[in-house]
Amino acid sequence: MEQVIANGLYLGAQYALIALGLTLIFALMNVLNFAHGQMYVLGGFVTYSIYGQLKLPFVIALICSGVTLAIVGALMEKFLFRTVIRRSKREESTMLLAAATAFFLDAVVLLLFGEKQRGVPKIISGVFVSDRVILPYDRILVGVVAIVMIATFMLFMQYSKPGRAMRALAQDRIAAQLMGVKVERYSMIGFALGAMLAGIVGGLLVSITGVNSGIGGPISIKAFLMVMIGGAGVVGGAIAGGFILGMMESVGLTVLRAYGDITYLVIFALLMIFLSIRPHGLMGKPWG
Amino acid sequence: MEPLLKFDDVELYYDHVYALKGVSIEVHEGETVALIGANGAGKSSILRAITGLRKIRKGEIRYHGSRIDGTAPDEIVRMGISMVPEARRVFPFMTVRDNLLMGAFTRTNKIEIQQSIDMVLTRFPRLKERFSQQAGTMSGGEQQMLVIGRALMARPRLLLLDEPSLGVAPKLVQDIARSIVAINRDEKVSVLLVEQNSRMALRVSQRAYALTTGKVALSGNSAEMLADERVRHLYLGGEI
Ligand SMILES: Nc1ncnc2c1ncn2[C@@H]1O[C@H](COP(=O)(O)OP(=O)(O)OP(=O)(O)O)[C@@H](O)[C@H]1O
Ligand SMILES: [Mg+2]
Repeated sequence: MEQVIANGLYLGAQYALIALGLTLIFALMNVLNFAHGQMYVLGGFVTYSIYGQLKLPFVIALICSGVTLAIVGALMEKFLFRTVIRRSKREESTMLLAAATAFFLDAVVLLLFGEKQRGVPKIISGVFVSDRVILPYDRILVGVVAIVMIATFMLFMQYSKPGRAMRALAQDRIAAQLMGVKVERYSMIGFALGAMLAGIVGGLLVSITGVNSGIGGPISIKAFLMVMIGGAGVVGGAIAGGFILGMMESVGLTVLRAYGDITYLVIFALLMIFLSIRPHGLMGKPWG
Repeated sequence: MEPLLKFDDVELYYDHVYALKGVSIEVHEGETVALIGANGAGKSSILRAITGLRKIRKGEIRYHGSRIDGTAPDEIVRMGISMVPEARRVFPFMTVRDNLLMGAFTRTNKIEIQQSIDMVLTRFPRLKERFSQQAGTMSGGEQQMLVIGRALMARPRLLLLDEPSLGVAPKLVQDIARSIVAINRDEKVSVLLVEQNSRMALRVSQRAYALTTGKVALSGNSAEMLADERVRHLYLGGEI
């Protein structure tokens, strides 16, 4: 049991970070970023290249993943999403655009890194063993890093001036503009930040589970699940959704193992029931 | 003397429907000017044009003598024009404190910002009691005080108020009217006040413009307008 909880927490922290990025972009721009999983994959491959291939320290590789994705996110916002949002009033347009960027990033990753599953050497070896829990040190480290990042992100959103401006923008665009917030600049910062979080998780998890060019889509779907569980556009909801999904996955893989690979089938079924009772998720309101 | 704000022969359209059809108004330094008129007369459109939320099709808007039409809303605040928008628009999931800090978004000096917060809290003591409360959970009147305070946090020279009495309990309307007078006097801010509560607007202002369907129908000294038979008939609902 403790083992299942430990695994769930480790996974949940990663998922929460992914969901935070997705929900930030959604709250700021009303864009459902279908390419979020692909951003994660790209982050994974950046760390793979720098840490796995070039043998530079893992920290540097992780920072490169974050920076690369921040740049990719900023460019996507500036040249793609901003243009489309300005010209089109229909929400489907940005959804289509997001789906298109997902396919595009998939193709780019495939061209650059091929289709093979890639892994990297362990960042630290050894296993923590107690009477009830067995957890490799690298998982503990990766989990702790993710939790520290969640905390940093939340403090940034809560207490920094740019964080406050982004919350204001999410709550009332026009009022924020009247306060002097430059909408375009902060949309770009938000998109870059959201993409950066996805890239960092990709970099973190490549050290545990590896990465391959095909997992972008499934990761995006998981990210949507978490955001729907928690309620779109809410920080607390993204975190709750991430941990809930991580925990369900961990429990499912243990409990349902005997029945084959049906964990996600069960999760989807539960989610459908849950959403029909609470369509706005756990905390259906923007940015508390 | 050159007016602080000069709104000259402005036309404004929403798609193909006009909202302002050649409107000219002026606000001088130190004045409180009222804009009254029925629903849909174009009062809010004037404020949206000044703050750059809506582009004008014809005419000029000058502030301190220079053209400001075509300037983005976030630049307009930096020039010293703050707006309290229609329907208040607090940041509902932020505390009173964070709402006020957003008002000071264009400023950097922390000590001066704190002084402004103290000033706002002295002016609206209710906000002090609610300082850490989420703005969306406050009453209409309290929210109105908050958005006026928030606008003052930018240290404006010109304050635009869009229907501050709307959705506010009658007793609080008095309070808000008094604070408008006090703000105009103490903070040396000129005020352009849009109101459907014409009586209140004419009492707190020195001059007024009455709008009907995108045009200035009447204008003049507020006290005289309050006594004017036509104004009484059209904008004050007959009785006084
Ligand atoms: N976003 C919009 N799109 C289309 N028409 C609009 C829009 N906003 C206002 N209008 C129209 O422009 C005209 C003037 O509107 P405006 O909001 O300036 O009126 P107002 O005097 O502020 O009215 P109220 O007292 O109801 O707030 C109205 O006929 C209104 O229907
Ligand atoms: Mg109006």
